[in-house]
Amino acid sequence: MSKDILVIGGGIAGIQSSLDLADMGVKVHLVEKLPSIGGKMAQLDKTFPTNDCAI
Amino acid sequence: MPNKEENIRIGVFVCHCGSNIAGYLNMEELGAYAETLPHVAFVKRNLYTCSEGGINEIKKAIKEQNLNRVVVASCTPRTHEPLFRSSCAEAGLNPYLFEMVNIRDQCSWVHMQQRDDGTAKAKDLIRMGVAKSALLEPQQPIISDVTLRALVMGAGIAGMTSALALANRGYEVVLVEREERLGGMLNVINKLGPSMADAASFAEEKIKAVQSHKNITVFTKARVTEAQGFIGKYKVDIETESGVKKIDIGVIIVATGGRLLVPEGLYNYDGKKVITQLEAETLLKQGLDKGINNVVMIQCAGGRTKEKPYCSRICCQTAVKNAIMIKEQNPASKVSILYRDMQMYGVENEELFRDSRAKGIRYIKYDPEDPPQVKDGSVQVFHSLLGLKMDLAADLVVLSTPIVSQEGAEATSQLLRVPIDDNGFFLEGHVKLRPLDFATDGVFLAGSARFPANIREAVAQGLGAASRASIPLSKGSVVVEPIISILANEDACRGCGLCVALCPYGALEIRKTEKGRKVHVIDVACKGCGVCASTCYQHALSVNSFTDDQINAQINAFLE
Amino acid sequence: MLDVGRHPNIDLLAYSEIEKVEGEEGNFKVTVRRKARYVEEDKCTGCGACKEKCPTVVPDAFNEGMGERKAIYSWFAQGIPSTHTIDPNYCRQLQGKKCGVCAKTCQAGAVNFEQKDRVVELTVGAIIVAAGYDVFDPSRIPEYRYDKLANVVTAIEFERLLSASGPTGGHLDRPSDRAIEAEIEALEKKAGKSQKVIAKFEEQFGQASADFYSSFQKGEYKDDEERNKWAEKYKEHLEIVEPLEAMKKKAEGFTAAKRLAFIQCVGSRDFRFYPFCSGYCCMHSIKEAIIAHEHGPETTSTIFGMDIRAIGKGFEEYKIRGGNHSNITYVRGRVAEIQAGPDNNPVVIYEDTKERMVKSEEFDMVILATACAPTKGIYELADKLGIELDAYDFVKTSPLSPVDTSRPGIFVCGCAGAPMDVPESVAQASSAAERAAEIAFYGDARKEKAVA
Repeated sequence: MSKDILVIGGGIAGIQSSLDLADMGVKVHLVEKLPSIGGKMAQLDKTFPTNDCAI
Repeated sequence: MPNKEENIRIGVFVCHCGSNIAGYLNMEELGAYAETLPHVAFVKRNLYTCSEGGINEIKKAIKEQNLNRVVVASCTPRTHEPLFRSSCAEAGLNPYLFEMVNIRDQCSWVHMQQRDDGTAKAKDLIRMGVAKSALLEPQQPIISDVTLRALVMGAGIAGMTSALALANRGYEVVLVEREERLGGMLNVINKLGPSMADAASFAEEKIKAVQSHKNITVFTKARVTEAQGFIGKYKVDIETESGVKKIDIGVIIVATGGRLLVPEGLYNYDGKKVITQLEAETLLKQGLDKGINNVVMIQCAGGRTKEKPYCSRICCQTAVKNAIMIKEQNPASKVSILYRDMQMYGVENEELFRDSRAKGIRYIKYDPEDPPQVKDGSVQVFHSLLGLKMDLAADLVVLSTPIVSQEGAEATSQLLRVPIDDNGFFLEGHVKLRPLDFATDGVFLAGSARFPANIREAVAQGLGAASRASIPLSKGSVVVEPIISILANEDACRGCGLCVALCPYGALEIRKTEKGRKVHVIDVACKGCGVCASTCYQHALSVNSFTDDQINAQINAFLE
Repeated sequence: MLDVGRHPNIDLLAYSEIEKVEGEEGNFKVTVRRKARYVEEDKCTGCGACKEKCPTVVPDAFNEGMGERKAIYSWFAQGIPSTHTIDPNYCRQLQGKKCGVCAKTCQAGAVNFEQKDRVVELTVGAIIVAAGYDVFDPSRIPEYRYDKLANVVTAIEFERLLSASGPTGGHLDRPSDRAIEAEIEALEKKAGKSQKVIAKFEEQFGQASADFYSSFQKGEYKDDEERNKWAEKYKEHLEIVEPLEAMKKKAEGFTAAKRLAFIQCVGSRDFRFYPFCSGYCCMHSIKEAIIAHEHGPETTSTIFGMDIRAIGKGFEEYKIRGGNHSNITYVRGRVAEIQAGPDNNPVVIYEDTKERMVKSEEFDMVILATACAPTKGIYELADKLGIELDAYDFVKTSPLSPVDTSRPGIFVCGCAGAPMDVPESVAQASSAAERAAEIAFYGDARKEKAVA
């Protein structure tokens, strides 16, 4: 039995899943294909509908 | 002023960041300058202060040089302050006796072409940081226990999903429902789109699970009348038929849902021949009257108007689903949907939309400037794409009215000190990144109380809110950075409450004390934003590590 | 993002891929390949000195190929981890040539050309698939001429053009203008070199090249070998300078793009490609139009779409605000074709379905709101995980259990499951976390305890 969780993908969804679990005290392995996490959202300049920065 | 009895010994570490800083500023000059500053006992330049070597140098110097303040002049505290703080702690120095100066973003990056000016600015910043650090005081993290029990308000699908998820994780859940029966909207709905699963049997299954769960206490025909406290420690009053129950609660999930707008005075609404989609659900459940052969649905009835500017998200999919159900019950019937935009977003909805066209459901785009007219037995509409006035026979007119905020949402918002938006829906912590949290810690949000949601979304949000709420529960305690507001001068406080009104996190309250009305900081709820301290005209409030004295020392150092 | 990098409970395996998955809920054995970065993660401080010195210029994938990076790079400036990576397809050293400049520059000694891929084994109780999506390739729609017309770009490319950290520093320079400016820059370098050559001749003979050349053309100095060379070099110089001057003159007239067209449903709601609605693109276009208007108040935007699906919180209000304050016009109609117009201006041919007329209009730039396509690797990944995909290759779920895949212990969230926007992805991410947590905290006991 393992209590660790694997998250595949380091975009906004993978980041949020990982943070929730990690904050609960669960060990998370986050695997991302690219050199850095951030995903598509990191490429966005700003976000609707508040025009806040994406990063 | 620094504590006279304390011999202040400041260590300054100036980071080269490879060539990122050293390539643009005169590092030798910065190092030599730092040595001339008051109370500075030790200066070291590092290639990378954040590397293992750099960290070891800090630790070594704290011990060998008896440093009692540490200043690092390097990059941004956003990324590196936690690392340097914990390094100080590892060497036995209180981590809040650490100050960071950003000479990368503010000097080497923005003044790449101005070496001398950039260096001079870095000296200013270091001098200011050193002056502040001399006045820093040790702080202890604030730890507060969390009652391992959740309150879920509202037993619709979102609330029941949250309750079951938390209960399955082993936490006690108190589920409060205003109505007699659990299930909310599911009790009225006929089929659940797009799978056309039976809503009643799905509701039944969930209700049974909730009622039989040993970790869930259900109160129906009940409401929450009082909620005092803060994350981890709420004292909640629940008014039930058998009297008021007082229960200790750790976290709260708001899943009170929404309600359908009843379109009184709109399109000759009468609840019989001109009805709402929710009323159509009931008709479809009973079986549609055989005499109904022509049905016209009107979208955005009372929605996307000046008064209710928002699109209620789920009415188009509800209309398409019900149109298909009508066709199924009476294949010979003609169903027309008069719309402005068909909001069939996503994979499943668009599929349902296509499917409905294949089944012969007719779509007519109308112009809100020239809306349809409901007559006795017919609907007149201007088909804005064909440019034709049309007269459609109608045995039944179904109005797609928007979901509006729940009755009592405002009272709930005041009770829990969480905001609602212009349309009366609860306002989450961040519309993009924190959809299920409130700005106030310990209170969470799911389902149509936030914004109209379909079944898939309501279940997802119910599970998601449970995840968010379980974080403080699984930790069992809340640990807060001690950089928070404090009532530094109790005598000065007049209990005016201005700060209480302005606090975005519900972290302040007025308490009656022996000295009269005084503000009280709920330390675990405070985020240290400083709004209260900067507003208090009596200077009674202050923020740890950003006290008036400390900031004045920085300003004076700058002006030297 | 930052929190992930420093969370003690998160083991971040970036630049890594899933190789193999065995076992079952509660006990999955996962093999992960950690690709060689040729930079040691524990030594690299992310200072970036290496990429300053690296001589090899590579198109920047983060900026959708519109900007440039070096063969040693960080994915983007604020990326986590900040560890740099060497692209083995471009790096001179790794291609067997002599270089190693980065290794010499790195004062932390982090560059390691000998680094190999590493394989790690993980044992986990549950798996969350958050593999995201791909941007639909609009060159599959030939009538939109995405690969032929420089000023027809995708929404994500436009996003990078709007961004202060993007290839244009946030100026709305048109790609065609940028191409000409790049050509000018290249020609100026060439002209500088040839200028040096003819300057030597001018010094040698004490005469201006232009004067000499006019006499030369009249037939003088025909036998002078040196002067013949001079004439030849001067002619070459003119061949560079004359088009350069013309281009420079043209470039003086370049301004930021002001007339923008946004085309909705590019690849979505289209039976040839993806019949579904991608859900977020209407709002994405409105946002880009509003931001473009913030950059230049004279900017006007036309959004061509069938339905404008502003279905989230505050979205309809945002759409109306865009129309009232940001010069956005919404046209109901599907664009049939984009043609080449004068001055590299794309011309949009469309039916205005409200006026029932075929129209055409010239724009400075056209932005394609491309479909949210299933990510390329998902087929292989689903195969390794043993989970089912739906008809479009999104991970299959059911409306009543929105994050459960077909296999117990494996959950999905975000656009890997279906197109959705950020708040929905975040909400689903928490849902998937909840489902996974039920396993992490209860494991085998869960099967008896759990109800429903």
